Amino acid sequence: MNKNTAKRVVVTGLGIITAIGESIPAFQKALFNGECGIGPVSLFDTAGFPCEVAAQVKITDLKEFFGDKGIKRASRCDLLGLIATHEALLDSDLDSERCSEKDIGVVLGGGAGGMHSWEKYRRTVWVKKTRARPSLLLPIAHCTLTDLIASRYRLTGSRATISTACSSSATSIGYGFDLIRAGVHKIVITGGSESLSELTFAGFNALRLMDPEYCRPFDKGRRGLSLGEGAAILVLEDYESAEHRGARIYAEVLGYATNSDAFHMTSPDPEAMGMSRVMTRALKTANVRIDQVDYINAHGTATKINDQMETKAIKRVFGEKGARVLPISSTKSMVGHCLGAAGAIEAVATVLALCEQVVPPTIHLENSDPDCDLDYVPNNSRTQEMRIALNNSFAFGGNNTSVLFCRG
Amino acid sequence: MIDIAITGIGVVSPLGVGWEAFWENCRKAKTGIKKITSFDTISLRSNIAGLVENFDPRQFMSPGVYRRMSRISRMAVASSVEALKDSGLILDAMDRERIAVIMGTSYGSSSHVEDFYISLLKDGPRGAQPFLFPETVPNAPASHIAMFHGITGPNTTFCQNEISGENAILYAQNLLLQNQVDAVLVGGADELSAMQYSCYDAVGALNKIKVENDEHIDPKLGDGLILGEGAGVLVMERLDLALEREAKIYGILRSGVITGGVTSVGHYEVEGEQMARAMSLAMKKANINPDDIDQIDVSANFSSELDRMEYNQLKRIFTKRMNNLAVTPLKYLIGDFGGAGIIRAAAIFLSLYHQLPLPTVGAQTLKGESQRSLEWDLYSTDKIQVALMTTTTFGGGSTSLIFTKS
Repeated sequence: MNKNTAKRVVVTGLGIITAIGESIPAFQKALFNGECGIGPVSLFDTAGFPCEVAAQVKITDLKEFFGDKGIKRASRCDLLGLIATHEALLDSDLDSERCSEKDIGVVLGGGAGGMHSWEKYRRTVWVKKTRARPSLLLPIAHCTLTDLIASRYRLTGSRATISTACSSSATSIGYGFDLIRAGVHKIVITGGSESLSELTFAGFNALRLMDPEYCRPFDKGRRGLSLGEGAAILVLEDYESAEHRGARIYAEVLGYATNSDAFHMTSPDPEAMGMSRVMTRALKTANVRIDQVDYINAHGTATKINDQMETKAIKRVFGEKGARVLPISSTKSMVGHCLGAAGAIEAVATVLALCEQVVPPTIHLENSDPDCDLDYVPNNSRTQEMRIALNNSFAFGGNNTSVLFCRG
Repeated sequence: MIDIAITGIGVVSPLGVGWEAFWENCRKAKTGIKKITSFDTISLRSNIAGLVENFDPRQFMSPGVYRRMSRISRMAVASSVEALKDSGLILDAMDRERIAVIMGTSYGSSSHVEDFYISLLKDGPRGAQPFLFPETVPNAPASHIAMFHGITGPNTTFCQNEISGENAILYAQNLLLQNQVDAVLVGGADELSAMQYSCYDAVGALNKIKVENDEHIDPKLGDGLILGEGAGVLVMERLDLALEREAKIYGILRSGVITGGVTSVGHYEVEGEQMARAMSLAMKKANINPDDIDQIDVSANFSSELDRMEYNQLKRIFTKRMNNLAVTPLKYLIGDFGGAGIIRAAAIFLSLYHQLPLPTVGAQTLKGESQRSLEWDLYSTDKIQVALMTTTTFGGGSTSLIFTKS
């Protein structure tokens, strides 16, 4: 593709719901204040697990919060996603009337989707040996939220749901970027949603990947991740279309890359080749030099191996010297690891950082680790001039994605 | 516009393992729908599905490699081994970072989801089986393909119900057009599991047939869908590069479009307008007319909503030819699953390559009004240059792809 004539892709709307904030303004405040959303879980019984905590969204009645008590056949994951979508479309000034006029695509990333609903069904059948409500099974398809959003706003453009575990929604931003660049759509709704579920909670516990207290990315005493839940939506738009209708431009998406470690289902390769190659590939695709990058929103899960490997990969890509002057932070220290929604939540954090010129902190970072010796912006946010930021997401199965944003 | 060629095919399907067996049975319209024996169906209202039989992963990889893999991953890796071999690509001579693996699946390894969750219910928080968990992610098959072949390029998995494989094809096309990669292994896979089957049974989506043995299966048209399983992988390359290396070229992906219809969860688009729009747009992009199309592969799966809607929309597009319009509902033979689009595409490419049409039924059949058993028209000798593959999924999405011989 000729770089000079390629369409530019910008972010014109944001929506979010997480354990530290249920709207963009609330999330932004908590993000820059370094608030922690990790705590007790009320969604299901966590007693007896090595780790019993997670970053659960605090709203008790999501249907009421969404303002549609009558909504049917939507799982918790779908409701979180609809809430974030509503905010993002309003923010982008795309009300349902204007939406229907356009050919808008929906590309989301998902993790466990309606698993929490299926679990309620399965548990009832297993424990009580009776039939359970079949409607609990309707939202089990991974693409339910994508279809719900498209139907609710009567969107007839492309729709796709990407499910690559923890990198899903980062890749959805990438695919939305592709669709706009290729001229298929002027606007694509991207992002993702994830609700806590017993499956993932038990799974990460079984793999001994969870910190019993709270995750502490890049800290010497880190013992694993904390799970989280939430949703984030980014409205991507063709620059000319956004300019034409006078939309607010938060940031520009410069490019992205995905790749595979081709190494192991649950561990990154010990030389961090996959992680470094995906960053390099994203930089190349976006035509950005390493010295132009001002901030990295890290994958930073707080597992022993991830943080060590990510640090190694950043050094390999940016050089020892270049890496040392780069502020790097892990939003997961505040919102937990939101799996399928993580990439989108962190993309929103990155965009807000660029807009406000504030680097979000990595909280719970008390003791430095010789293996993690870069600037992780410990505990307090920092005002800093930034133009280009890199957002990393690395997943189970060795699926890596890096996205590059530029200040709008 | 750069053309995209298909240069390799791998299939593990209810019609046979390996593309040769699949193609032979496909031509005969032999059914892959059989009585389920792999799990207990006593409490369910149905007990048939499109089943992969006689699949031995040892023919494709060593036991050490597939020991921890789910059934879906084994089938997916096996298809990728066959497709790569068929394509003649030598990975060692290529830059593995410029090869992509893009997959589509509805549910990934749903059997591992069920087994893991049951281990939790049975043995409590400290008894859940850690080795089952990593396979529950839908991207596990694509990751295993990447690991098996050492392919380090772009790797993504789409889960969009019945258009998952088609979504993967369109993403793969974009990667090639942008010159991000030299080749893509694009695939679709799903495994039949008790978890998924019982969910479909509980919501009343399945064709309510219970059989004693395989001999008496006569699915009722329009009574409900029949699930299936299997995996397929296609090797996609830019045509100019495929010609340069003198590769076997099965056919060309001429155009592809995704649209979305409005519907409620668990249902198909009501009228099918967006399905028709996808067909029209795909033809327009490929610069062809309805009269140019020699073969139509539809996504009918025995459900009352889908099959009739497809009929109605075909009527709008192929108005002049409707009296004798023949279509291929391959899912009537293999069952319905998210990765089925890749296997259907494989059938079309084999047909274009061999210049032997796929078996067909009269389009009227889709209306589900006939009380008679399915009758297939076999061994037509018509020449085929252009094929249309249309797919609509519950949830509302539709895709339309145009394939040509050259």
